[in-house]
Amino acid sequence: MLRFDHVSMSYGSHQVLNDLSFEIQDGQLAVLIGPSGCGKTTTLKMINRLIEPDTGKIYISGEDITKQDKVKLRRRIGYVIQQIGLFPNMTVEQNISVVPKLLKYSKEDCTEIVHNLLDMVNMPYEQYAKKYPGEMSGGQQQRIGVLRALAASPPIVLMDEPFGALDPMTRRTLQQEIRSLQQKLGKTIVFVTHDMEEALDLGDVIIFMNRGTIEQMAPPEEMLAHPASGLIQDFLGKQMSGQNEHLTATDFMRTDIVSVPQNRGVHECTSKMKRRGIDTLIVVDETAKYLGTVSIADIRMAGSTVSTIEPLIKSCHTTVAVDDDAKSCFETLISKGGNYLVVLNHDGTAAGIITKTSMASAMAEQLWG
Amino acid sequence: MATLLDRIPLLQSILIHLGYVISSVPLGFFMGVFLGILLSRIPKLSKLILPLLSIFNTIPGIVFIGILFLYTGMRPITVIIALSVYATFPVLKNTYAGLMDVDRQYIDAAKGCGMSTVQRLTQVELPLAMPTIIGGLRLSTVYTVSWAVLAAMIGQGGLGDYVYRGVSSNNNTLILTGAIPAAILAYALGSLVDWLQKLAVPRGLRKGGGNH
Repeated sequence: MLRFDHVSMSYGSHQVLNDLSFEIQDGQLAVLIGPSGCGKTTTLKMINRLIEPDTGKIYISGEDITKQDKVKLRRRIGYVIQQIGLFPNMTVEQNISVVPKLLKYSKEDCTEIVHNLLDMVNMPYEQYAKKYPGEMSGGQQQRIGVLRALAASPPIVLMDEPFGALDPMTRRTLQQEIRSLQQKLGKTIVFVTHDMEEALDLGDVIIFMNRGTIEQMAPPEEMLAHPASGLIQDFLGKQMSGQNEHLTATDFMRTDIVSVPQNRGVHECTSKMKRRGIDTLIVVDETAKYLGTVSIADIRMAGSTVSTIEPLIKSCHTTVAVDDDAKSCFETLISKGGNYLVVLNHDGTAAGIITKTSMASAMAEQLWG
Repeated sequence: MATLLDRIPLLQSILIHLGYVISSVPLGFFMGVFLGILLSRIPKLSKLILPLLSIFNTIPGIVFIGILFLYTGMRPITVIIALSVYATFPVLKNTYAGLMDVDRQYIDAAKGCGMSTVQRLTQVELPLAMPTIIGGLRLSTVYTVSWAVLAAMIGQGGLGDYVYRGVSSNNNTLILTGAIPAAILAYALGSLVDWLQKLAVPRGLRKGGGNH
């Protein structure tokens, strides 16, 4: 059990934490959330004594942490930071074994720990143990960051916005991994974030802080049902909206299209396609209005019977307007069976195309942020 | 061997010159690293101390060796002390800069892992600062080769003998006889440090392998 007992702290005249008292039960994942400057990171760093309170006490399993040696205390508390902080001069294996080595575990034990932990996140030892952090993606690095924190089986793990710097997809996967690790290992985790979705997703209990005090401490369901203040409601609201936002074709289209005037020669068009690595061009008239498309297949078929692309233009492609509703565009795309829709501006010029891929990636972004 | 050296005075001068460099650069290196570490622990004071040292460093070697000679006499040790002091500075400055440049995240992570101050220094900060520190060693080495010419000023031999004699007798050939081997020596020792750099810099920090 982790307990804060009337903890206060200030930097100069600025009160960072104001008489903070709360308890986190063993095996819980507690999320500290709130606007920037609310004191959430300060609170976290007090647990491993990177920051000391001015007044008040912090207890771990009933023991006052100031009574313990700082360095020894930290070896029993896992610590994951947003910047990842893997030591670039050490391999993955060396990074994970940092704390076990400090605790003088045997070499065999260290190797075994590294094996087991890498297995747990599906990163084979043979493939990853000898890599350097610089040779891996951000997501892989932070996985190792989490493993380093877990290596000496600390009962408590502190995570300071661990996934804040990762892209949405990777963040999602790592959140899931944390949740399953938490269920498997039953750690007490204190997790700082400013992302309410993450808090709702991961937290057994959410501690909402503002200006150095706790505004509400409650399980996610309760916080959703009865937010204690307008500010919390705002935070939750930001989370809830976004899904209902009115989306139009513009949000889904690719704008990297290539257009050519109708009177251009066949050769010019084929070489243009070759250069850009595409198989279809958008054909426009003198005033840049959309006429149709021309594809490499049609040009090949026509062979040398034509010199300009004009006779090959197809205008049968389905077009939609930029402000058409996204849902209807989606339905059109699926029902017509074509590969793409052409999106037109109001003046008849081509704005872009919607492909299944552009649609899928835009939807993923909407769903997972 | 002795007779061979006597017969080829140039070779003798080169060896003496090399001897000065090889004995004073390591001394300067260890002093520089040591003082650099100390200064990096007191960054506020260092902001005052470093500029003062910079000023000291601009005192021409010829003046310093001249003053030192009054106290320690016309002995090789005078040369070695003077060269060591001058070799210290680039290493000190680079050690300090390298340590101060270590990204905050690594310090935080090291603290959070429960490393003591000494462990943090030896396992994280010094390895990360190593490329910069060795860069300082390279500067020191190359400078020391040219400063060692001053040994001749107090009659302590080395390639400076040729340079001084050449200058006073207006003999260009004699000047070059001293200067060319000195340049070659500087180049060779610089390459030696480059090779050391490859050994001393952790693999994760080398080009292509690291994220720096």
